[in-house]
Amino acid sequence: MSDAPALRRRFTAGLALAVAAGLGGSWAAMRGEWVNQRDDLALRRGAVTAMALDQLVGRAGGTGEPLRAALAAWQAEQPAGTEARVVRLSGARLEASTAKVDVGDQAAPRRLARSSPEDKVLYDRGQRLRGAVEGNREGGAVKPEVEVERLAGGRMRLAGPLEEDGAVVGLVQVDLAPAPARRPPAPWPMLAVAGGLLVLFWFLAPRLGGRAWAHGLLAGALFLGGLLALGAHDIRRLERDHREAQRELSDHAREVRAGTAKLLAARGLAAAPALDAGRWDVDRMRRPRGLLDERGELDLARAEAEVRKARGDAVGAVVAAALLGLLGLALVGSGLLWRFGRALVVHRQAYRYIAPAMLGTLVLVFFPFIYGIALSFTSSNIYNTSAPLPELWVGLRNYWTILSDFGIARRGADGALIWNYLNFYWTFLFTVIWTVTNVTFGVTFGLLLALVLNTRGLAFRPVYRVLLILPWAMPNYITALIWKGMFHRQFGVVNQVLAMVGIEPISWFDTPFTSFLTAFATNAWLSFPFMMVVSLGALQSIPADLYEAARVDGATRWQQFTAITLPSLKPALVPAVILSVVWTFNMFNIIFLVTGGEPNGATEILITQAYKFAFQKYQYGYAAAYATIIFGILLVYGNVQNRVTRATEGV
Amino acid sequence: MRKLTLLVLTAALALPGLAAAQGARLVVWHAYRGGEKLAFEKVIASYNARPTTKVKVDPLAVPFDAFADKVSAAVPRGKGPDVFIYAQDRMGGWIEAGHTVEPIDFFVDDALKKRYIPTTIEALTYRGSLWGLPLDFKVITLIYNKKLLANPPRTTAELVKVGQGLTNKAAGKFGLAWAYNDFYYVASLLNGNGGAVFGPGTRPTLNAPANVKGMQQLQAWNRAGFMPAEPSVALITSLFNEGKAAMVFSGPWFLGEIAPGLDYGLAPLPAISEAGGQPMRPWMTVEGVFIAAPSKQKEAAFEFVKYLTGVESARVLALEGRFTPAVKAVYDDPAVARDAQISAFKKQVEVAVPMPNVPEMTMVWSPATTALNKINSGASPRDALDVAQRAVEKDVAGLRKGK
Repeated sequence: MSDAPALRRRFTAGLALAVAAGLGGSWAAMRGEWVNQRDDLALRRGAVTAMALDQLVGRAGGTGEPLRAALAAWQAEQPAGTEARVVRLSGARLEASTAKVDVGDQAAPRRLARSSPEDKVLYDRGQRLRGAVEGNREGGAVKPEVEVERLAGGRMRLAGPLEEDGAVVGLVQVDLAPAPARRPPAPWPMLAVAGGLLVLFWFLAPRLGGRAWAHGLLAGALFLGGLLALGAHDIRRLERDHREAQRELSDHAREVRAGTAKLLAARGLAAAPALDAGRWDVDRMRRPRGLLDERGELDLARAEAEVRKARGDAVGAVVAAALLGLLGLALVGSGLLWRFGRALVVHRQAYRYIAPAMLGTLVLVFFPFIYGIALSFTSSNIYNTSAPLPELWVGLRNYWTILSDFGIARRGADGALIWNYLNFYWTFLFTVIWTVTNVTFGVTFGLLLALVLNTRGLAFRPVYRVLLILPWAMPNYITALIWKGMFHRQFGVVNQVLAMVGIEPISWFDTPFTSFLTAFATNAWLSFPFMMVVSLGALQSIPADLYEAARVDGATRWQQFTAITLPSLKPALVPAVILSVVWTFNMFNIIFLVTGGEPNGATEILITQAYKFAFQKYQYGYAAAYATIIFGILLVYGNVQNRVTRATEGV
Repeated sequence: MRKLTLLVLTAALALPGLAAAQGARLVVWHAYRGGEKLAFEKVIASYNARPTTKVKVDPLAVPFDAFADKVSAAVPRGKGPDVFIYAQDRMGGWIEAGHTVEPIDFFVDDALKKRYIPTTIEALTYRGSLWGLPLDFKVITLIYNKKLLANPPRTTAELVKVGQGLTNKAAGKFGLAWAYNDFYYVASLLNGNGGAVFGPGTRPTLNAPANVKGMQQLQAWNRAGFMPAEPSVALITSLFNEGKAAMVFSGPWFLGEIAPGLDYGLAPLPAISEAGGQPMRPWMTVEGVFIAAPSKQKEAAFEFVKYLTGVESARVLALEGRFTPAVKAVYDDPAVARDAQISAFKKQVEVAVPMPNVPEMTMVWSPATTALNKINSGASPRDALDVAQRAVEKDVAGLRKGK
């Protein structure tokens, strides 16, 4: 056992790590929350201003002198630093502007200048918003209908579409003055608590004697107590700020509503229908968030729900920080970290040697693997490839869609079964049949040939051997194309041979069974040499005296085969069969090139189906889930196979 | 050893500097090879030699197979070229993914738009705005063996009659060989009957009555028995080259495969007798010249794009690179007008329709091919297209659902 001073030092270090990770982490998370909250408030205030202006512009006719007059009147009511521009896409015109730069020959109305990169940005933004609104209307909200740009000096630029009779004709863009700055929460209380905990532990530790568990318990209790007190305080503060932000937003919305109504009245513009402040507090897709009603008052239930959600996030952060801190404490306190560090130092030579390999595996194997699995939990597809994965997270939806669909077949109008070849279970069933038939054939035929070739005194043995290995030596991609050609209905050699014996030509790729036969024939051709070579090697390593002894004992040829040959072949054959199963299960080339899934995807195996989902239908997330399922199946198979062989070996 | 390290380090530090010094050049990605590449590079050389050219251009040939994926991967991350050339079929996907294609609507006025064949502009228009300028188009037409056939058929009724006359199955001879198991080719029959794959907008319309009619006509041709079964590209090429197929429906890419010495001619696809003499309307692919969204020299890039798609370069591209340019004025050039092949494709493109550029199109291929195979083996076109329509609708909805 360690002595008391060493324990004291070690656990103080552990507590320091825990405090740094836990208290520091929790504080950083809270600060992040606070910044998000202020950002969100600024954004929502901006959205209210922008959407209200959008409505004003619409009611001012969206064009001409009335619009410019209304915008000028609006500008007069705004705080300094706010400016707005209205662009119409048709003719690329700056219709109205209160921007400081748009004066003199740049004053609105004017055509946007082709030579001006700023004007191009404005115009392209308008086109983008129009595309987004149209696309979102066709189905699903996938593109932002409000664009936000952060400008220098804390200013913010919001742009929304200008609509007339349901069509987007331009955009309204507002630059907002920065919101009054607020001081973020200071780190001092956290630092004070952290220091206090460490000092307290340092002075209490000597009373615990040489008991490690007592040290751990005390350090853990102190850490948790400190974190809970601090966390509770921070969460209360966060809630208070959140409520305040909601009130601010509501105040702002009511103010804007009153101001807009006044402007409408003063300029003699349509006051009906009444202005709806609830439709100004919107998200990026211009969907109302539901926090405000049409007069701009808070919807209390909704407000409480928002606060609850924020609290939930904060509690989650504190719990995560606590776990992180405890982990640190345990690692240092138990001496594990120290021992690991020592191992690194002592065996530094060995670690240096394996570092490149570890790095390579990490980058080339583990990263793509983990990325693929992460992808399978998202709705990633051709529309959203640029979005970060967490935004596309859909949980287990892809897996559920694939695995929960049991509609393999249905009854047609005439009562006949209609198979759904796109169904996962059909493809799985076909893949299993494909694998079993191919491996069975490959092993049987390969072994048979090996036995024949192993006959002593066989003339021209090397020649046969080369000939039989030839199918394997040729690139399987070429072989596959040749076989596909041989099954052509009019020009294929198979049908021509059949015609010689008076059989009608067969459309090989028209029914699932015949189509399967073409792929099976190709793969059989390709797969037996491997099994033959493996068996041949193993056969030659069986000592001849075993057979001699058996003959002396009067064993038949069959008895020799089952009692000597097969058991001796097993160590070589079992791994070969496992390999062969995995290869055949994922035999992409043959299926893809020979049958191409014909007819109607009936002869698709899992891996070609996954390929089609990824690269023909561009559903990357779905295809990744498909691939992960394939991996799972093979993993289970490998485990079972391993266990079975190990069990038989034990006998 | 240490010195070497130092040297390498210095070089590594100096390289970005060198690259920056070269930054005042435009990089253009293209996938041309052989004669096309030579003509393309000649145009670029003459652009670089112009006294008014401020930013010179470096062409870079990227293998066609890898081109689209390379653009998707490199351009949004700012690692790509300033300008790239590709067919319009991937354009919608790139636009939806964002940060790939720069919208050029703002640069283009009506006078510039009028320079091109209208349908080529239509092909590069997505959601109402223009995203690239058209360089050339590709379209399928009727290619026939002059030795076997003096006058190509003008209507489908004639086609069937002539085709049957030239067919001798026992000798492996056929009137017409074309990839009627490939939806891209068969679309010419659907479009000719007034059908379309989408419309309005991105709503799939595979099972529209006009499409069913087109497919029924294909089945009638199947029954008439003047086309080889399971037509693969290799089969069509060898039949035509061996004089065993009198006619082929294919595009400019096929001309390079024709055996030297074979006397062939080009004619427009026949008018559809069953549809009141409406022409068969093949899909056209338009190669657009796009500006990469992250490019730092968009103005200069646009200058180049304008030049490249202009009449001066079109003349070189057409006569030396066998391009079929999108700019109209080049066809008034006597040397181009005399060229029988280019004029034939120009004539065909007048009735062609742009292949859809919406990303939803990628959802169509697989179900449409499945339906086509069923129809070719005798299934009811209506049922097959209904199934395909449902599959496309489901896939499109799955994509659109997003998150």
